[in-house]
Amino acid sequence: MGYTVYPTMESRHVFTVSELNTTARTALEQGVGQVWVQGEVSDLTRAPSGHIYFTLKDEGSQLSAVRFKSRTSLLAPVTIEPGTVVLAQGTLTVYEPRGRYQFIVSILQPIGAGAIQRAFERLKRKLQEEGLFAPEDKSELPAIPNAIGVITSSKGAALRDVHSVLKRRWPHIRIFLFPSTVQGDTAPKELQEALDRAIRFSQSTHALDVLILTRGGGSAEDLAAFNDEALARNLYACPIPTISAVGHEIDFSITDFVADRRAPTPSAAAEVAVPDRAEALGLVNERLYRILRQARTVWKERLDEFRLRADACLMRSPQRRFETCEQRFDLGLAEALRNMSVLWKAQHAASNHWAEVLRLSDPSLPLQRGYSLTFHPGDSRPIRSISDLAIGDSIETRLADGRLVSHIQEVSSHEA
Amino acid sequence: MKLEQELKQLEDIAKKLESDELPLDEAITLFESGVKLATSIRTALNEAKIRIETVVENSRDSFTIEPFDLE
Repeated sequence: MGYTVYPTMESRHVFTVSELNTTARTALEQGVGQVWVQGEVSDLTRAPSGHIYFTLKDEGSQLSAVRFKSRTSLLAPVTIEPGTVVLAQGTLTVYEPRGRYQFIVSILQPIGAGAIQRAFERLKRKLQEEGLFAPEDKSELPAIPNAIGVITSSKGAALRDVHSVLKRRWPHIRIFLFPSTVQGDTAPKELQEALDRAIRFSQSTHALDVLILTRGGGSAEDLAAFNDEALARNLYACPIPTISAVGHEIDFSITDFVADRRAPTPSAAAEVAVPDRAEALGLVNERLYRILRQARTVWKERLDEFRLRADACLMRSPQRRFETCEQRFDLGLAEALRNMSVLWKAQHAASNHWAEVLRLSDPSLPLQRGYSLTFHPGDSRPIRSISDLAIGDSIETRLADGRLVSHIQEVSSHEA
Repeated sequence: MKLEQELKQLEDIAKKLESDELPLDEAITLFESGVKLATSIRTALNEAKIRIETVVENSRDSFTIEPFDLE
């Protein structure tokens, strides 16, 4: 310690201000040195330089403290917020340009809940006891929503995240934005108003199937609006199923507990709000496959029966009825074939089935079963009526394995 | 019709075809409506109608829906 106070006027030493501050700094740094101190953080400022200025206080006194960026970057990040009680190690010194003494922090450990945390726990306990978090009061989210309401900032990353996930997973959807600030003093009230607006909109104008209340990550102060009691009560009363997604995975807010569903991030909220398109398409394809497989079975089983009925028509009725039967069958099959061709080609599925259907529609199939077709020689149109023929005419008959040419010896109708 | 109901209906058609002894006409009708339904669901699922709209309340319960541009 290199200072002395001289007792007489003649020998007194007059310091300059700078000298005195330097003397004080040296006295503090060497006399007190490295110490640990415990206190509650308040008046916290994050300077653009990266330094963090705050006050450490207890019931009776306070101390200016600073944590320099060079130190913070070397250590694991510590979340210090106003209200946090911390244990800090550092050096007591004087900031000479201002003559202020301050504590330069090198190690900082939060050791307990501060005022904000205590208020949060108190509100959480209160609402829990009132039953606002009750699992049995939670609504199921709809399996497939058509319209989603999003309450968030129109400028934040949260909206962007929600949109990009919905676009990928389920683009068959409308997103209605109810903009609100999500931090600061006015945020709790604005969020409440946006929620009320969304509910009225859903009841009067366009039904919302689910409502997402969200914002991206931030400090505890930034997220504090979502710990508002009145907002929590409105959310509990909301008739639309709600998802709360505030901050990152590690952040829990009161709205998270009250909402029907909590999601760790805005993107995750979008994930739980909608099904996955790929899964839904898989479901459609699975059902379609069962329908096609069944149709194939039905055809195979019933075709013979149908043919028999067609034969019966032929045996006992005018030709017109037979033609009607055939026509109906052909039309049904043609329609089915059109559908089949589009679908099966699109799916690259079961080509053997396609071949089977084609085989059944082959005009030579009836010939294999014993029917024959009759023509005038050189004419490709089949002869349909005895009135087209006279005794002595030549006719050509096609069978499954070849053709015959013959002459007509007799002509008679069914009635004869 | 809502997609959810359409998916349910498709499941019903598949089940009916699988379980019932249906007359051929009815089976074909069911098959056709199933195929049409599946096609329309797939079209809907691939249709990207996603968009963000901002809801503005002019006066109580009177809303205007405005397109919202993310950019």
